Amino acid sequence: MQTVRLALNAMATRFELVMHGEDAVLLRAAGEEALSEIRRLDERLSFYNPNSEVSHINDNASKKPVPVTPDLYSLLKMASELSDKTDGAFDVTVGPLMRCWGFVHGSGTWPEESVRKEALQKTGMNQVQLDEFECSVRFRQDGMAIDLGAIGKGYAIEEAASLLREYGGMSALLHGGTSTMIAIGSPSYDEDGWTIGVADPLDESHVLTSTAICDEALSVSAPHGKAFQKGDHIWGHVIDPRVGYPVQGAAVAAVIHSSATVCDAVSTALLAMNRTEMDHVAQKFDDMRILCAYPDGNELELVSNGFNSTDSTIPDDKKNG
Amino acid sequence: MGSAALSGAGLVRAANIKTRPWPGNRDDVHCGIIGYGPQGREITATLARVPGATVSAICDTYAPMLRRAQRDVPEATRHEDYREILDNPDIQAVIVATPTHLHRDIVLDALEAGKNVYCEAPMASSIDDAKAIARAARDVPEQIFQVGQIYRSNPQHRSVFQFMRSGAIGKPAMARGQWHAKESWRRASPNAERVRELNWRLDPELTTGLIGEAALLQMDVAYWVLGELPARVQGFGQIMGWNDGREIADTIQTIFEFPSGLHLIFDATLVSSYEEAYEVYMGSESTIVFRDRGKAWMFKEVDSLMLGWEVYARKDRFYKETGIALLANATQLDAQNLDPTEDDPNVETPMWYAMQEFMDNHAFGPYPPAANWERGLEAAAVAITANQAIVEGTAKEIDPLLYTLD
Repeated sequence: MQTVRLALNAMATRFELVMHGEDAVLLRAAGEEALSEIRRLDERLSFYNPNSEVSHINDNASKKPVPVTPDLYSLLKMASELSDKTDGAFDVTVGPLMRCWGFVHGSGTWPEESVRKEALQKTGMNQVQLDEFECSVRFRQDGMAIDLGAIGKGYAIEEAASLLREYGGMSALLHGGTSTMIAIGSPSYDEDGWTIGVADPLDESHVLTSTAICDEALSVSAPHGKAFQKGDHIWGHVIDPRVGYPVQGAAVAAVIHSSATVCDAVSTALLAMNRTEMDHVAQKFDDMRILCAYPDGNELELVSNGFNSTDSTIPDDKKNG
Repeated sequence: MGSAALSGAGLVRAANIKTRPWPGNRDDVHCGIIGYGPQGREITATLARVPGATVSAICDTYAPMLRRAQRDVPEATRHEDYREILDNPDIQAVIVATPTHLHRDIVLDALEAGKNVYCEAPMASSIDDAKAIARAARDVPEQIFQVGQIYRSNPQHRSVFQFMRSGAIGKPAMARGQWHAKESWRRASPNAERVRELNWRLDPELTTGLIGEAALLQMDVAYWVLGELPARVQGFGQIMGWNDGREIADTIQTIFEFPSGLHLIFDATLVSSYEEAYEVYMGSESTIVFRDRGKAWMFKEVDSLMLGWEVYARKDRFYKETGIALLANATQLDAQNLDPTEDDPNVETPMWYAMQEFMDNHAFGPYPPAANWERGLEAAAVAITANQAIVEGTAKEIDPLLYTLD
């Protein structure tokens, strides 16, 4: 058994791929093709690259329908369905809100109320017209912007993993920035899958829980990272597209599902949701497992919805579901 | 159909193949893609966004590629034999994106079948094949034949080309270029026979090596901006990093001598990605650097004259040097109230412009494209000769007869 490790800088993060198989030369060849797919998608989906397909949409879709490639059209269609299923807590049209909260090129500032209201009014997947016949996208009003930041990584690793699966004969783990990952098979015969630890958002060195994934995806979202302080509260870079304020739901959300794209989107949406909403969302997806940590004073309360911990550090009295 | 579709009537694109039944929009150019590897997919995705193009048929000899085609372009017909595409009278244009050594038969058959042809670069992997393709293209001037030397169609390159031809760098001193990547160049497949086919770039009998398969587009820009073809090439090649049984060099150095006396040094490697790909033209007044597929900067000598527009131009720092960004259509951007010192938000990729030129030629041509059979033959002949020099570790004359048709 041989092991090959590859890495790529794309989508403003680092992707890593570990593969186990019989032939290191072929493993590497398959891995290179998978990573180059991620690079290709980054060039097309980036909100920050002025020449990307997404930037073309953002620059022109309020003036006219913008034709897009069929796969981007399908991704936008999926994003729209995910907005419906999360009751709008996930929404790729969050671009104007990200701008007004200063998270596009900075670490955030409190916006004027009128500016925030205007940005909120330009947010909503229902204001994006997807024309399947023409395979085009149009914004119903000026100033809207699509930002695939909360779904692009998941989509990219899902596409890359589908290339790896074509080769077969390997087990592999592919992650983007350690927050979204896909496991193909299991690293060895005597393991249930790849063991993944979910870090405590308040203390990265502390593992909240760990779980094994095999032929499925896991995504972990947290609003920390880019953040600013106002009063005694830290405001993170994930905006609730329904209200236009930084999210006030889970402090960390982990989602396991067969689709990395779905995991990526839902884990982001959960940051905006309370426990009741989380239960509601969990019922809408087959075979989804969720773990959320909600702030409770200075502590975190862990709530699990089918999330099996192999090495749980969740106190029994905090377990739920 | 929504109102968006109606108002976008002038913008009907290849994407409409998603739902529109064959043969689609009558005004569109129906294209067949032959070879659905990474390049074929890239071209297909690009055509989806080019006005007037519809990808209607896709050919690949390998079933998983056709499955990908079905997913990407469900409305296109799928074929294992390219002749089925050539036999279809509704297909006007074919794009040949197969391994280089397979171009000859397909291009000749396609031209014979009356199709307009876009052939990926390098045009061929042997002088015989290159000449056969060139001859066939020359003999049917009423059909379009465009080679994938895409920078020839790129507005950004065209703009810098004019600037350089106006003498901006002063007396040319020399030129240098590189293509660096860290990748094995191997391709994997669960099927052993398929692995051999896929790895044609590593097959000494079939490949034009790094100088042909990786560096050709950059070298083509050099011939264009310098206005001459090299007369002699010295080559070196080593296997430095990938000792996996391959026989072709993973690292090369070449020196091209041009009739004017100018020398161009080009190196390429699969072992290190340092600085990736760029070309530098050094002269007595300034040095011009191309990088990032068409971006360009000028670095002036301290004693060279101030240019009128220089104060308005965007400047970027490169360690201790300051480069003046050379942006295409800066004056038009100014007229549209877009800041000419920012990247133009409406810039498309070089591949998009190449495909647009190919499609425009269907509407307004046929006229010889910027990358016509002559440019294809020249670039292929130089690359093939340079690769021989690399393999043998010698210097080779580049006889103009190599790229001259009888």
